[in-house]
Formats: sequence, C-alpha cells, structure tokens
Amino acid sequence: MDFFLTQLAGFGAEFIDLITDPVAYIYIVTSVFLGIVFGALPGLTATLAVTILTGFFGNKIPLDYSLIALLGAYVGAIYGGSYPSILLNIPGTAASAATAMDGHPLAKAGRGGEALGLTTTASFIGTLIGTTALLIFVWLLLLISQSIASPEKALLALFGILLSGTLMSEDLVVKGWIAGLAGLAMAMVGLDPLLSEPRYTFGWSYLFSGFQVVPVLMGAFAIPQIIEGLRHVNTGQLVALKGRIMPNTKAIKRHMPTIARSGVIGTGVGALPGVGEDVAGWVSYGVGKSVSHDGKNFGKGSLEGLLSSETANNACIGGALIPLLVLGIPGSPPAAALMGAFKLNNIIPGPTIDPEIILRVVAIMVLASFTMFLMGLFTAKIFIQILRLPQTLFLPVVMVLTTIGSFSVGGGINDLYLMLGVGAVAYLMNLMKYPIAPLVIGVILGGLFDETFRRSLLLSDGDLSVFVSRPGAAILLALNIALIASQFPILQRKFAKLRGR
Amino acid sequence: MTDDEKATLRTRDFWGALVLMALSLFFLWRTSFIPLFGENRAGVSGADWYNSAAIVPLGIWSAMFVLSVVLLVIAIRDGGAQRAFTAAGIGWDPAEAIRIATIAIILTFYIFGLVPRVDFIICSGLLITCLIFGYHGSHPRRMIMSAATMALAGLYALIAHFPQAEWGKPHDDDWVSLILWGALTLRTILTAKGPVIRAIPFVAAIVPLILVSAMAFGFRQNVPNRGGLFFSKIEYHYYVTLRPLWRD
Repeated sequence: MDFFLTQLAGFGAEFIDLITDPVAYIYIVTSVFLGIVFGALPGLTATLAVTILTGFFGNKIPLDYSLIALLGAYVGAIYGGSYPSILLNIPGTAASAATAMDGHPLAKAGRGGEALGLTTTASFIGTLIGTTALLIFVWLLLLISQSIASPEKALLALFGILLSGTLMSEDLVVKGWIAGLAGLAMAMVGLDPLLSEPRYTFGWSYLFSGFQVVPVLMGAFAIPQIIEGLRHVNTGQLVALKGRIMPNTKAIKRHMPTIARSGVIGTGVGALPGVGEDVAGWVSYGVGKSVSHDGKNFGKGSLEGLLSSETANNACIGGALIPLLVLGIPGSPPAAALMGAFKLNNIIPGPTIDPEIILRVVAIMVLASFTMFLMGLFTAKIFIQILRLPQTLFLPVVMVLTTIGSFSVGGGINDLYLMLGVGAVAYLMNLMKYPIAPLVIGVILGGLFDETFRRSLLLSDGDLSVFVSRPGAAILLALNIALIASQFPILQRKFAKLRGR
Repeated sequence: MTDDEKATLRTRDFWGALVLMALSLFFLWRTSFIPLFGENRAGVSGADWYNSAAIVPLGIWSAMFVLSVVLLVIAIRDGGAQRAFTAAGIGWDPAEAIRIATIAIILTFYIFGLVPRVDFIICSGLLITCLIFGYHGSHPRRMIMSAATMALAGLYALIAHFPQAEWGKPHDDDWVSLILWGALTLRTILTAKGPVIRAIPFVAAIVPLILVSAMAFGFRQNVPNRGGLFFSKIEYHYYVTLRPLWRD
C-alpha cells in the first residue's frame, strides 16, 4: 500500500507540474489534434503520426515537450481511427478495424452520435487503465530488471524479435522471422560496438555510424503507405451523424465489466514486445464475443463489441510503454518510434532510466487522455469534415513532411537516400505480406542483442553454458526455443493430438 | 485470403525466397571479410572467436539462409514454382505496374536529383503537383505525364550539376524546375476539373514554404539546399530585414 501511495504522490507532483505549465497546453492540444487527424484519415496510421512528429520534435525541443508531442499524437491517433470506422466502414488505422464491425451498423441505424460518444469514453477509460498499469507495473518490473545481466538482455531482445515476428505475421510465421532477421542484419551495419570493426560499410563513411533510426522508421512506415495510398479510392458514403456526441453514462455503467476486461486485455497485449494496438483490438473483440451473453449480436451493432475493441486499443498504449521503459523493448510499432525519440535525446530506456521520466510519461498520458476526451466530445465535427479529404491530396504533403523531417534529424541527404531505400524494401515486403513491425524492432534491438550476446561470451570465455546457468537466462532460452518449436508442424500435430485426448 | 490470392503470393514467395537465398550467400561471403578466428582485429591480436565482430552477423545470415530455404520449400509445395514464369502467376497487372513505376520514377528523381540541388520550395511544389495531378482519379496518361515532368527536372539537375560542389549554385536547375512546375500547374488548371485539382497550386506552394520556414527559423534546423533560388532570399530577408525588427 505504501508503495502505491508513494507512486501516486510522485505522479501527483509531476501532474501538477505539467498542468501549471502553459506551454505544455500548446503542445498537448496541437499534438492530440494532429494525432486524431492522422488517425481519422484512412491511409495514415498512428505509427506514421508518431514517426513524423519524431522527425519534427524528436531532438529540436526539450525532451519534456517532445514527449508531450509524441505521446499526445499516439493517444489521439489510436482514438481517431474510430471516426472512419464508424462513419465510413473504413478503419482509419489497423487498431480500429474491429471497431468498424459494430460501429458502422450502429451509425447506419441512426446511432452514430451514440457510437462516437461511447468510443470517446471507452478510449478515455482504456487509456487511463493502461496508464495505471504503467504506473504500477513499471516499478515492479524495474526492481526485477535490476538483476538482469547481459545473457538475459540478449535473450530478451531475441525473444522480442521472434515474438513480434510470430504474432504480427498475416501470412506465414517464417516471414515474420525473416523480417526480424532483416532488421537485425540492418543493425549490424557500421562499426561494431565492442571492437569498432567496420561491418558491411562498403567504404562509404556515412555507414560507419550505422543506420539511423528515424530515416529507417520513416522509410519503413511512411513510404509504403504513400505508394499504396496514391490511387483512386472510393471512400464510400459518409453516414450522416444523428444525435449528439455525448458520453452515455448509463451504458458505460452497464458495460463497466466489459470495459474493465478489455482494458486489462489491451494492456496485456500491449506489454508483449512489438505487438500493436490492432492485435489488442481483435483479441479483446474475440474474447468479448466468446464470453458475452450478447456475443451473437457482435458484428450487428453491439455496444459491447464496440466497447471491447475501442477500450483495448487505447489501453494497449500504456501496456506498450511498459517494456519500452523497463527493458528498452518497444511494445508496439508507435512505441518503436518513441524509442527513436529517446535515442535522439541520448536517453537509453531500461533499468537505468531516470525515474522522473517515467512519472512524466504517466502524467502526460493522463493529460493527453483528458484532452482527447474533450476534443472527441466538442470538436468531433471538425474531424468528420476531415474524413472527406481524399488521400491523393494529403499523401503528397506527407511525403514532403517525411522528407524534411528525415533530413533535419542529422544525417542530411544521406538519410534521405536511406529512407527511400528502406521504403522500397518495405513496400515489397508489404506486397509479399511480410510484417514491417519485426523489421523495425530488429533494427532497434539489433545493437543491444549484438553487444550483450558477445559480452556474455566474453565474460564466460566463450562458454555457451552462460545462457543456461543463470535461472533468468535459462527461462528466457526455454521461451525462445518453445516459440520456435511451436511452429514446427510435427510438434503442432503432436500438441493437437494431446489436446484432443 | 482467396485461393487465387494465396497462389499468387506463393509464386511471389518462390522468387522472394530465391532472392533471399542469394542475398544470404552474398552477405555470408562479405562476413568472411571480418576476422573470425584469432586474426588481428581492430589492432587487437590473439583474441578468440567469441570476441569477433563476425559472430552475430554469421548467425543472422545463416539463419536467414535456412529460413529462405524453408520458405522456398513451402512455396514449391503450394505450387509457386509451377506458376513462376507466368504473368498471371505473379499477379502481373499492367495498370498497377504503370502506377508503381511512375511513382518510383517521381520519388527517385525527387530524392536523388532535386532535393540536394534544387530549392526545396520549388522541388517540393513540383512533387506535390505531380503526385496530386497524376494520381487523383487514377488516369494512366496523367501518371506518365507527371513522371516525365519530374524525370526531366531531375535529369537536368543531375546532369548539369552532378558534383556536390555545384549543389548550391548556380540556379539554372532551379529555373528549369520552376518552369516545369508552372507548365504542369497550367496544364492542370486548364484541363482538369474538381475541387481537389483547383486546390493543387495553393497546396503545392504553401505547404513547402511553411514547412521549410518552420524548420529553418522555428526549430533552427538544417534544411535541404539553403542556397536555393527562393530560400536564399527568404533567409536573407529573415535575418537582415525581419529579425532586427524584434531584436532591436
């Protein structure tokens, strides 16, 4: 109890500090607004919002304000995806795909205002659930992570890449692993961290410092989106909004168990390395459908279905920040962009992170969720107007934003060449249904894996038993092996037979 | 995923796996350039294999090779190899090929040719005009015209001022790009209709201007081609004419 009260006191001090700073409001209102716009426009994603803003705010303003801008955009974009899902039946972001299943039937039935009011409230509560989990669990995990040494760090980084590859694969799991390995391979370029040996630099001095994170993020997330989106798309008929967008307190009270369950699921899925808000939304929707009495009406305009996905995808944000802050492993693709911002500011997330940054992040998340809630209720009409913009109009603007953002981060024109190269590869990967998230996670964690793996061997004089002799390492190694083995057809068949018995 | 889509995907996987295998072998060969067994490395001699900078890349590319073999086996088992040499097999769509090829031309000439050499406001204005005019409504002729315009501007800049020493000045490539931008805008206004097309000149002129000014004077960051035709004048007047107004 004391621990919880200490945490609350620390959070309270940071929150008061935040809300008494007038400049913070400029950043939070602007970034949440931009985030909702990015989320609401089909063709733009939450990851893209955070990535582009990283290019603009990552290292150009004090870290406190850059965190406000990035977290505000993250929270806003995940929520903003619900607008086109409900009114157009086109998910604004992958995270709100499940929202369309019940949101659009509700809008067609003339209950669009009620649906938007409920998603606004559910997103708000979901963000708060995730943030509360962040406040509590991040400290417990930080205590545990103090005893983590190089072998555990190496195996954890590998587990993050493998898990992300396994869960984010739309087609074959092997493609997710290949994407993760491609990311790891990209992280090997440059001078190695222990001996400063040049690797794959081909005599180009720019490559000596390795691939920069921001151009890679811009290339991986923005360029494929721009290439894919530059086509004529029939946006469909915008359903006329009937009724006021107000929180339906009776419905919220009635469905509080659903909201609480979805919040917990969203937070849990978010805490898995590299698994994003889209998976959280679908898992929560699936669980809701199987446990709810109203399950048969899911997909036909069920309020419970709507609340299941929308609460979970926003709760996922807090969850995704837990492994990022504690272990330096991003919990979702937008969190990977946040990791890029931390790196730009020379902050290494992990057991040695400054505790004040964590409390600051929690305070920003709470303020961002309040801002999102108020904007959702009072400025929704602006966002509905934005839905009419064709993507052929705003994607060229995004290309210019991406170019100048990537250029100004540091590497100049070479960063643009890298961005375009990574973008072309990422587009081909999208075309062949390779997930992009494991690639980015691989690029971000590659350096950590290389350094800690080799340091473990160095300290043990090349004795590989260092990866099994420590209990934590042994557990992580077993998890890695189990994850790989679970994809072997022979083992899958045997497991299915055992389950049948 | 329908059966047809899956079949196309497996055919692409067949080719993808072959490319991955070739890449893995190439990089395994390149990894052999990094000392592995006890050679002198980075000035340190007598170190062991586990110290080597090659150990992790070796594991990565070996794993990549194994996974690409697995992918190849899956693709062949699902019929990917049988359809590998047919246009339908790989899902060839001429309209989509024109779209992708023209976008590739536009982005390549923009990044490699124009951004380093031409004023950012001009080249980004040209880019926005080309992309909206070319792809709004999905007309293949407009796509080709946009790509040709961008290629012309990019080729001129690349050929006339290839060395880095000539990127800032002179401004003939800025003028060529500006004239092409103006011509395409005129063509757009005269022939195409609709609110989106009418918005092109405004979006194309205002967005790059605001962005480059915000980045240079608001965030005080480096921007592409500071010596460009327009930006050099904007920067001059910002520091000489405008800034003294509030600094004094």
